[in-house]
Amino acid sequence: MPRASAPTRRATSSQLAPLAARRPTPSPLLPQPLLERLLAVAMARGGDFAEVYVERTQTTSVSLEESRIKSAQTGLVQGVGVRVISGAKVGYAYSDDWDEPALLRAASTAAMIAQGTGAERAFPVSRVAVPSHFHIPASLADVEVAQKAALLTRADKAARAFDSRVTQVNGAYVDNTRRIAVANTEGRYTEDALEMCRLFVQVVALGKRDERRMGQFGSGGRVPFTHWLTFPPEDVAREAARQAVATLGAVDCAAGPQTVVLAPGWSGILLHEAVGHGLEADFIRKGTSLFAGKLGEKVASDLVTVIDDGTVASGRGTLNIDDEGNPAERKVLIENGVLKGYLYDGLNAKLMGQRSTGSGRRESFRHLPMPRMTNTFLAPGNHHPEDILKEVKRGLYCATFGGGQVDISNGNFVFEVSEAYQIEDGKLGRPVKNAILIGVGPEALKNVSRVGCDPMPDPGMGTCGKNGQSVPVGVGLPTVRIDNVTVGGTQVG
Amino acid sequence: MDYQKLAKRIVQRAEKKGARQAEAFLEVGRQSSVRVRDGQIEDLTQSTSKGVGLRVIVKDRLGFAFTSDFEPAGLERLVDQAVKLAEAAAPSKLNGLPGKKDLGRYADTGALFDPAVANLPGDWKVKAALEAEKAGREVDPRIATFNAVGAGDFVSEVYVASSEGMSGGYSGTYVYLYAMPVASEAGQLQKGYWLDYKRFLADLEDPASIGREASRRAVRMLGARRVKTQQVPVLFDPLVAASFIGGLADAADGNAVHQKASVLAAHHGKRLAGAHVTLVDDGLLPRGLSTAPFDGEGVPTRRTPILEKGVLQNFLYDAYTARKAKARPTGNATRGYSSLPGIGTSNLYLEPGAKSPEDLIRETGRGFYVTSLLGHGADPVSGELSAGANGLWIENGELTHAVQEVTVAGNLLTMLQDLDGVANDLQFRGGSTGAPTVRFRQLTLSGE
Repeated sequence: MPRASAPTRRATSSQLAPLAARRPTPSPLLPQPLLERLLAVAMARGGDFAEVYVERTQTTSVSLEESRIKSAQTGLVQGVGVRVISGAKVGYAYSDDWDEPALLRAASTAAMIAQGTGAERAFPVSRVAVPSHFHIPASLADVEVAQKAALLTRADKAARAFDSRVTQVNGAYVDNTRRIAVANTEGRYTEDALEMCRLFVQVVALGKRDERRMGQFGSGGRVPFTHWLTFPPEDVAREAARQAVATLGAVDCAAGPQTVVLAPGWSGILLHEAVGHGLEADFIRKGTSLFAGKLGEKVASDLVTVIDDGTVASGRGTLNIDDEGNPAERKVLIENGVLKGYLYDGLNAKLMGQRSTGSGRRESFRHLPMPRMTNTFLAPGNHHPEDILKEVKRGLYCATFGGGQVDISNGNFVFEVSEAYQIEDGKLGRPVKNAILIGVGPEALKNVSRVGCDPMPDPGMGTCGKNGQSVPVGVGLPTVRIDNVTVGGTQVG
Repeated sequence: MDYQKLAKRIVQRAEKKGARQAEAFLEVGRQSSVRVRDGQIEDLTQSTSKGVGLRVIVKDRLGFAFTSDFEPAGLERLVDQAVKLAEAAAPSKLNGLPGKKDLGRYADTGALFDPAVANLPGDWKVKAALEAEKAGREVDPRIATFNAVGAGDFVSEVYVASSEGMSGGYSGTYVYLYAMPVASEAGQLQKGYWLDYKRFLADLEDPASIGREASRRAVRMLGARRVKTQQVPVLFDPLVAASFIGGLADAADGNAVHQKASVLAAHHGKRLAGAHVTLVDDGLLPRGLSTAPFDGEGVPTRRTPILEKGVLQNFLYDAYTARKAKARPTGNATRGYSSLPGIGTSNLYLEPGAKSPEDLIRETGRGFYVTSLLGHGADPVSGELSAGANGLWIENGELTHAVQEVTVAGNLLTMLQDLDGVANDLQFRGGSTGAPTVRFRQLTLSGE
């Protein structure tokens, strides 16, 4: 069951290093003649299509606990995966050993899926230029670890200074520099370098009578290290601390249907769960999604236009090419409530007579690609956010969110509200604890009655899990009002 | 290649480069998996993998690096990076590897390796998955399709060596089978899910039975509807109960407890549940999926009761946190080669009771039997749980119609007090956390 989770700005700082000069062009991950040789071996039994995926990922992570840098670590993961498609059947083999014999073994293992005895043919590839949707002048891997650790120390100080009730601060900084190369028997050879970093802070606040509340916030994306000049770690930490403190003294949540207003931003996981996953072409082709066969039908209120866009500048879900070498795209999935399109990877597109939408993603060379979201957001409407709140007599204002999950088949989705307030006569009242929203995708979207004019992307901390594979994603939502949503809680009546 | 020797060599190399202490954790594995669809192979994946993580202490400073590159130059880089990172880290007296007194002697784990799994014939998985699909389809004409039916196996080897005298390794086998059918009626789709995951082939449930159970679970959800918001007795089936006790164990994490970021922190030694509630983490459980002679940093595994007859007895520790909290490590350091050890459970289970699940349902009269949950489970800090739930309604002691689009909510501490029934059907399904059917006296259910 797919699920998503999470783990004001101006500043200058002498702690951040100046940018490096121009980055040299890196040498190819694997020599082109070897790529072509692997393709030939992969097709030796008469497959329809073969692809070689090469990946080298350098990761650095630093963690802070109890005001101390607990650890700093770095690592390298590299490997090569060979995929062969024969009809609807897929053979896949991968190796983290870059020895030529090991790679050739992987290619012939993947070839076994095809039943023929065919001879080796040549599959020349030529390099295709890749678009660029983010600009990272200096590799994150080259930034000194001490500078990364300093972000956490600053975050810790800011969180503790925020309020005396803050008792624990945990922080983590992670970056990765990922290089991929994809070559296939259609002659296409692409290479890309993807960088990403993220800072995440978790705060525990202690109230009266042993009451403990957690707040968490993060920031990041496909951004250079200078991101932390404009989005300083203090801002991340203060937001996490604010959430933890704000929810102290929260009352039990009333159970049952209510009108809810969602704050803009990370609340976009509503879309990700309620419709996004259900529009992924693997579920559509297999007929296991309740959105299968509904193209052109009305599946949401007129106010709802949903877009998945892999080209958003510097977004956490942004890609230049997907993990099959196809360019990232902007796709309108639902337009004014009408279902317009699905998310296709190469395999499902081919089997369904469509073209790839650049949605083939994989966690690493250890995994097969499948259709996934990138950055998914709701187009803004024309309601003023303040008016949206003012109009609600009684309801629940959902300010910040944990994660969500969906059951594709029956469409049931949940998303967890980590900070919520009662709404009374159009104004925010007491904080409410332990709230969760549940609904069925299309029904919930038909109940969207107001869409704000305040579009907002999430700050860059989302990770989406599907079939055991995690990939970074972005979401976004303006202020939204949904009527008659079932709210989970403990108070009855 | 002799990986045990290689691990030792990496440690020696690190010591030579200035590490006061060093520890190498090395994993090697091969695996293969298959998925089928409509009587045909859908995909087949095979791989070999290896990797090593190196932890070093240089003047009370910790460094860690990992790599999957075993070429001499790659390993050289690994050592250099770990030492360099340590030099840049802040010093702390707490840093250090498990010492001699923590390492100790290993208890008998029994066999972890099944030659029948290691030498599984190439087409066994395909045949098993096809059989599960076929049997599942035959259960009911309303089985429309399958999300996936699959099988897989893997063989893994683990080696740990350290400057403190640790040197050990073991290999283990794993085999699994799962089916995810979708049932359809009157425009409603409902999925089912059933699986088994074992170290030994002989322990694995037979494929037809897995297919049938998955389909039975999908079909019985057809016609699901919401029910009214109310407070009723709620039963969790073993899969759901396992995720509940997994949430409890998160709160028993010694680090969270030490940081006072756990709802259980203030309750050590207190009675939290009835005498029929015993929750155990057992790294030595015979044939258990997580059974091993030592944990991720070489500390011997053991049986640790978390709740013993309802009383909170123990928290779980790795060596670092134990040092910090002035406790003893419990052999609960879990990790892969690409991460530092953290605290996790091994084989975690709730001890079964005497009643059958049918008896529990019968004596409930009216209530809700939960068969799947949506969401991330309980918040270990506040103890609050609020999750989406699917399941079956109980009326007059019998399962009646299916229920969906409702939530259940409660708090770990009150749920433990309210846990008034434990059935005799303990099972480990799809992982190393196991539970029988359980009943809570009352939970809040949110629906219409």
